[in-house]
Amino acid sequence: MLLELDHIYKWVTTGGRRTFLLNDLSLKVEEGEFISIMGPSGSGKSTLLNVIGMLDGFQEGEYKFLDETIHNMKEKHRSKLYKEYIGFVFQQYHLIDELTVYENIETPLLYKKVKSAERKALVGDMLDRFNIVGKKDLFPNQLSGGQQQLVGIARALISKPKLILADEPTGNLNSKQSDEIMQLFKQLNEEDGVTIIQATHSESNAAYASKTINLLDGSISKS
Amino acid sequence: MIKNYIKIAWRNLLKYKGYSAINIFGLALGMAVTLMIGLWVVDELNYNSYYKSRNRIAQVYQNIEYNGEVDTDNAIPRPLEFALREEFNDKFEDISMASWKGERFMKVDASTLVMNGYSVQPEFTDIIDLKFISGQSEVLNNKNSLLLSKSAATRLFGDKDPIGKMLTVDNENQMIVAGVFEDIPKGNDFSGLDYLMPWSLYADREWIKNASNQWGNDSFQMFVKLADDVKLSEVSGLIATLKKDQDPEQAKYNPEFFLWPIDSWHLYTSFENGKQSGGPIENVWLFSIIGFVVLALACINFMNLSTARSEKRAMEVGIRKAIGSSKNQLIKQFLSESFLVVIFAFILAVGLVLLFLSPFNELSNKTIHFPWESLSFWATTLIFIVITALLSGAYPALYLSSFRPVKVIKGTFKTGKMAALPRKVLVVTQFSVSIALIIGTLIVMSQIEFSKNRPIGYKTSGLIQIPLRGVSFWGKTDVMRNAFMASGAVTEMASSSSPSTEVWSTRSGFSWPGKPQDFQADFSYSMVSYEYVETLGLNVISGRGFSRAYPSDSAAVLINESAARFMNMQDPVGQTLASGKIGVDYTEYKIIGVVEDVIAQSPYSPIKQAVYAFDKYQSASYWNLRLNQNQSVQQNLATIEEVYKNHFPDSPFSFDFVDQEYAKKFAEEERIASLAKIFTLLAMLISCLGLFGLASFVAEQRTKEIGVRKVLGASVANLWLLLSKDFVSLVVVALLIASPIAFYLMHQWIQKFAYRADISLWIFIVAAVGALSLTLLTISFQAIKAAITNPVKSLRTE
Repeated sequence: MLLELDHIYKWVTTGGRRTFLLNDLSLKVEEGEFISIMGPSGSGKSTLLNVIGMLDGFQEGEYKFLDETIHNMKEKHRSKLYKEYIGFVFQQYHLIDELTVYENIETPLLYKKVKSAERKALVGDMLDRFNIVGKKDLFPNQLSGGQQQLVGIARALISKPKLILADEPTGNLNSKQSDEIMQLFKQLNEEDGVTIIQATHSESNAAYASKTINLLDGSISKS
Repeated sequence: MIKNYIKIAWRNLLKYKGYSAINIFGLALGMAVTLMIGLWVVDELNYNSYYKSRNRIAQVYQNIEYNGEVDTDNAIPRPLEFALREEFNDKFEDISMASWKGERFMKVDASTLVMNGYSVQPEFTDIIDLKFISGQSEVLNNKNSLLLSKSAATRLFGDKDPIGKMLTVDNENQMIVAGVFEDIPKGNDFSGLDYLMPWSLYADREWIKNASNQWGNDSFQMFVKLADDVKLSEVSGLIATLKKDQDPEQAKYNPEFFLWPIDSWHLYTSFENGKQSGGPIENVWLFSIIGFVVLALACINFMNLSTARSEKRAMEVGIRKAIGSSKNQLIKQFLSESFLVVIFAFILAVGLVLLFLSPFNELSNKTIHFPWESLSFWATTLIFIVITALLSGAYPALYLSSFRPVKVIKGTFKTGKMAALPRKVLVVTQFSVSIALIIGTLIVMSQIEFSKNRPIGYKTSGLIQIPLRGVSFWGKTDVMRNAFMASGAVTEMASSSSPSTEVWSTRSGFSWPGKPQDFQADFSYSMVSYEYVETLGLNVISGRGFSRAYPSDSAAVLINESAARFMNMQDPVGQTLASGKIGVDYTEYKIIGVVEDVIAQSPYSPIKQAVYAFDKYQSASYWNLRLNQNQSVQQNLATIEEVYKNHFPDSPFSFDFVDQEYAKKFAEEERIASLAKIFTLLAMLISCLGLFGLASFVAEQRTKEIGVRKVLGASVANLWLLLSKDFVSLVVVALLIASPIAFYLMHQWIQKFAYRADISLWIFIVAAVGALSLTLLTISFQAIKAAITNPVKSLRTE
């Protein structure tokens, strides 16, 4: 078991009334799974990913990650766990504009205090693997969307996470680029055993996954 | 990691060049001011550091009470020396009597130069740790030898060895140069000391011999060096009551001696009612505070611009957090940015200091060098940089690093209304300080202007004074008056024993009809010749001036209005003042006239009661000459010099314009005022620089809103108003805060002047109008630029 959500409630209060973002949501994810989360806008896909990714909290319920209880864990410990095991891929890529491709990929290693020589080797491998060695000194605004997302995935993978959370990773890409990214995810999942959870609108993208979860109004409607 | 922080910081600086320039330049200005003030403060605190044993050097001071008011002075009576040497010799390493600082003519061959120095006892050289190049202190035991400073010796004798050479002092004494000492550098009392002459020669004068047993004759100075391990306060206690004990006559003045250490001579100069009451140390404090305030203003700019840009950087923060950055790491990153800015600013500040050091020295009358080689300076500087970086970087770092990543990344992040509040508070703080500084400076200036416009009591322009040194001028007043007036350059001339702009001596012991018992009266006292009233242009209120038509005038006096009030005389003319003991030296003086008050002391103080006595012996210290207005000043001066040289070929001709001498009374306040003006200007400039940055940020942030409003038909004026009114209202709030505070503080300050200007409303109006127009000028550039942008452009970028 990689992670387990147990009866999670998350809400915001507006004008004295609660609006539920996650409503009694329970979910188990095994290591090595590839899960697609589908659902209309506002159904809670991003919220769910953020909760799983420990970027966001919740009001009620229990969250276990690798058999450790997350919701009452100290910030420092949680951050350590998170750095170690989780990588994020965003729809808008969210690369840092001021950094080159190389530096963007390197940054998570800096935060994990990896030694310089080792960083060089790891980033070098990653650039090789994604065929972007020639672009390592370019800045994000000099790349196409697909290339930027490749860098984003490379950055998410560099710290060898067990889990990749992807929030509409192909939302801003054309269908050809989109297929390439999905192929890549599938390959990562099958060959490297990385667990992947992606939120998506697209049926064809969802099909790459081994399992699809449908979300509606913060609850899982069909498994 | 550090390398990475710096790299990113560097790229951020380059990317936002405008903001970086404002930040760096603003901080550099602030740091330059603080550095400059720091150097000045250190220089002030290190005054007299030339003297190795400075913790043991002191001068004897005396408190004397007149009518319940205690006066503190460094003049002491001669018998004190004998008493100290006899009773307390073990407490002192050295004791030396000293004359007042005096200018003397020193003549070598045909040339005569004016030299500054004292007549002292041999121990004096040890007291001030004088460094001999040749000779030794004992030569001062010889009445015919003197010591010269290195520079004075060079001026007099050129490259020749001065030792053993003869020179003539004041056309009177033949002296031998018996020693040369190193010049005492600027920044120390006694700097500019040219000569030391033997006390024994000075003490040969009749009146000084007579003073040997006069405890009431406070006409000398005394310097001492304490013995090792003797406490200054202890010795002060021992000598306090010597005068009372030795001469019961003096007890009514309750005289008390005390030692005043050399450390305090420069910065603690004011005494009020016998208690130390500040002095230049107040300026040290004042400017230290101003230095930190100006730096704080610059730091506020940094904080404001950094947090204002937070929306732009929020995304970066969110991503960094999402890919694993901890809050600490983000704080470190933002702090490295502020460090980088501060280091650049510091380098620029050092450049500014180097550039402006010499004008600053001129303004503050100092010789400050940039302390490149001082280790402690660089250590302090390092701390200074760290503090500045923390001060300006800590708040933005904490603020930015605490963003919640989810919100930012989802794009729902907008800094709310509350987020701008601290920024507004800081802007208000900045402008409150700047406006308070403006008001303060205006009040100082108005006080100076007010005192300058105070009636002086005579015509200072077109009047010169010639200082007279030595006995060769005595008895020559009438002869010279005839000669000068015959030359046509001078319309009137009179002598006086004090310059008209100063009070050199005071005299007590007068009695008059109706004087209350035990009333101690102290008058400022000057001896003058005939035509003194006419020469100065004094207004005679009643009676007349000294006149050759009345032989009895040699026993007459003039008094001023204040004296008439002081003595409570309704009709003073014809009444008599008396002095001395009956049967010993009793003398009566008839009051023949009352003249208008003349400002001879501080232009801020009430005018002291004055007596002008007739100078029978023509032994004056100054000749006052009223120049002929029908000729050019140059022509007059050339003629006067020629006449002077004809009569005194061996004495150099020197003179002062009385109006310039009078203007010197304002030098100290004017120096403060011009420094205050500069710092106020800088504070305002720094504040406006920050405002400019904020305005450009706001204009940028509201680009879309402006575009929409324009499409809906808003005019440029509407938009200008829209963008300006927020800032203007902040400045108005600052005005409301600053005005009462500045009023209160300046009201306190101005109390120290007896003669003071009202703090008038127009000062606050000028400050308000000035601050508001500067604000408008600063923000209008951005507002108008935003307002005239083509709306299609700004809307398309969304």
